[in-house]
Amino acid sequence: MSIQVEQISKTYGSFTALVDVSLTIASGELVALLGPSGSGKTTLLRLIAGLEAPNSGSILLHGEEATERSASKRGIGFVFQHYALFRHMTISENIAFGLRVQSRRLRPSRKEIRDRVRELLHLVQLDSYAGMYPEQLSGGQRQRVALARALAVRPSVLLLDEPFSALDAKVRKDLRDWLRRIHDELHVTTVLVTHDQEEALEVADRVAILNQGKLEQIGTPQSIYDNPASPFVYNFLGNVNLFHGRLLADLSSQGHSGATNESAQSAIGFVRPHELELSRDLPPDNKAVVATVARIHAAGPQIRLELNIAGNTRPVTAELSRKQFEELALVTGDELFVWPQSMRLFDDPKSEALLLDQGAGI
Amino acid sequence: MLRPSTAQKAGRVALILLALLLLSGFLVLPVIAVFTQALSQGWKMYRDSIHQEDVLSALRLTGLVACIAVPLNMAFGIAASWAITRFEFLGKSLLITLIDIPLAVSPVVAGLMYVEVFGLHGWLGPWLSEHNLHVIFAVPGIVLATVFVTFPFVARELIPFMQAQGSDEEVAAVVLGANGWSVFWRITLPNIKWALLYGTILAASRSIGEFGAVSVVSGHIRGQTTTLPLEVEMLYNEYNFTAAFAAASLLTLAAIVTLILKKLIEMTSGVHRHMDEKEVES
Repeated sequence: MSIQVEQISKTYGSFTALVDVSLTIASGELVALLGPSGSGKTTLLRLIAGLEAPNSGSILLHGEEATERSASKRGIGFVFQHYALFRHMTISENIAFGLRVQSRRLRPSRKEIRDRVRELLHLVQLDSYAGMYPEQLSGGQRQRVALARALAVRPSVLLLDEPFSALDAKVRKDLRDWLRRIHDELHVTTVLVTHDQEEALEVADRVAILNQGKLEQIGTPQSIYDNPASPFVYNFLGNVNLFHGRLLADLSSQGHSGATNESAQSAIGFVRPHELELSRDLPPDNKAVVATVARIHAAGPQIRLELNIAGNTRPVTAELSRKQFEELALVTGDELFVWPQSMRLFDDPKSEALLLDQGAGI
Repeated sequence: MLRPSTAQKAGRVALILLALLLLSGFLVLPVIAVFTQALSQGWKMYRDSIHQEDVLSALRLTGLVACIAVPLNMAFGIAASWAITRFEFLGKSLLITLIDIPLAVSPVVAGLMYVEVFGLHGWLGPWLSEHNLHVIFAVPGIVLATVFVTFPFVARELIPFMQAQGSDEEVAAVVLGANGWSVFWRITLPNIKWALLYGTILAASRSIGEFGAVSVVSGHIRGQTTTLPLEVEMLYNEYNFTAAFAAASLLTLAAIVTLILKKLIEMTSGVHRHMDEKEVES
């Protein structure tokens, strides 16, 4: 079932949660709503679920106007951040709940309910936990039960509100892959809210990035990573180095990547750590700056360097492969030449000052 | 952990002893005294005192009043706590304050308020007597006064409990297609049952023991409008000490039963432990 969000705005008292947000989610798609806390992503999810009412705009489910429809009649499955399992019911009772509360006309027979519960327990790999209570399960298991419970009523839309954020890193990664597999199996339209850019980029077909109640950009993970539409998106999608336009004016002429502003005076440049080239020798075109190695983080597949560049108040982060690191044979205090393979330039209005303050190497 | 010095240890022992001494002096001894006095003329006398028609009638009236007042306050307590913890509405803080009024006001004043409203010379008195309805100096007045006094017990127990639990489970149930009624019966009620029982027991205990408010509205008509606590007072004022203490021992027993039930609920359900754990977790 498709979801259309049309010019939705929502305020809570004086706080504006969403401003004029529109997006369309195709049937069978998995879309992640990504943004920092307070960006309105959870509000948008709750509006789609019918748990909140918008101040203006409308929501269409399967092409039908559904803005006024109550949450219990939208045919959605909702998974909460803190699971919200019914603590006084066993795992199978939890999963069966949505079927048992259906009106007598629609309700499946006892046997059908039992079969459906068994099928779902199998799907979430918790077959032997049927008779246990939620408090006897680990966080990851509870969230799988919550998903099974949401899927029991065969929802046409599955909404997940930061489902893995309360879990530890390893479990989170496993569940993320597992969610993707389930989605590929069932093809139910899914909207996932997350503040974890890695999770969003890895799991979703498309990612919608929200900031301060506005939709900044929506696209496939690759397209938004490669072509961020705004400094915010660039900054939010992973580590980045920020340069004042003036400082690296001659460097930027070498970079390209669709520069939006040729005036180096008023531009800020973004370079991802892996886009920085490093060399002991001055490159042939002489367009490089000298940097000092301030710190080396050598744990992990990539080596991360913190570099001090004269005139830049904050250190710059560079990433390179182990092989390249060994070739350069760097130690702390070494001087070397640095230049960007590519750089993305944005206008540098005053409103961007906050970003600049955060400096390089976030 | 720091190892306490000898002086600290001595101080601790002294404090514990002092607490025990005060506790036995002010609580345990008087309770024993009630039973000693009640049984001072022997077991038979005790039984006869209780088997008097007036005492039995007071006992019945007390039971009747509790049976009406407690369910009313359960219903009110659940409704108020649900409204307060699950919704935002105008006048919410006023409602929270109103719930506490019966705890702040002296029961005698509560009784007088009802006399002022329903009494023969009160606001509704003339209309009531025209229609031959008796509130003051009759059972309805006693019920009203008891309901008023026990008003906060259930709600005050439920509100913090429901706040701590949050509404996630209820929202989950709604999204799964449950209507309001099934959310209440299948999710809310099972989740609050122990806290509800706890508050109910406190309310029941108070409604059995209430004296001040009931005393004002009852009129002390023996065999008709006298509850057990009033009967105790009347017997005592008549120098019928053995009977007074025998009746009082019944009230004391009720209190002891209440305490035991309360403790049992705390042990089996963790109603009051629950919130401490929450704090530790966060």
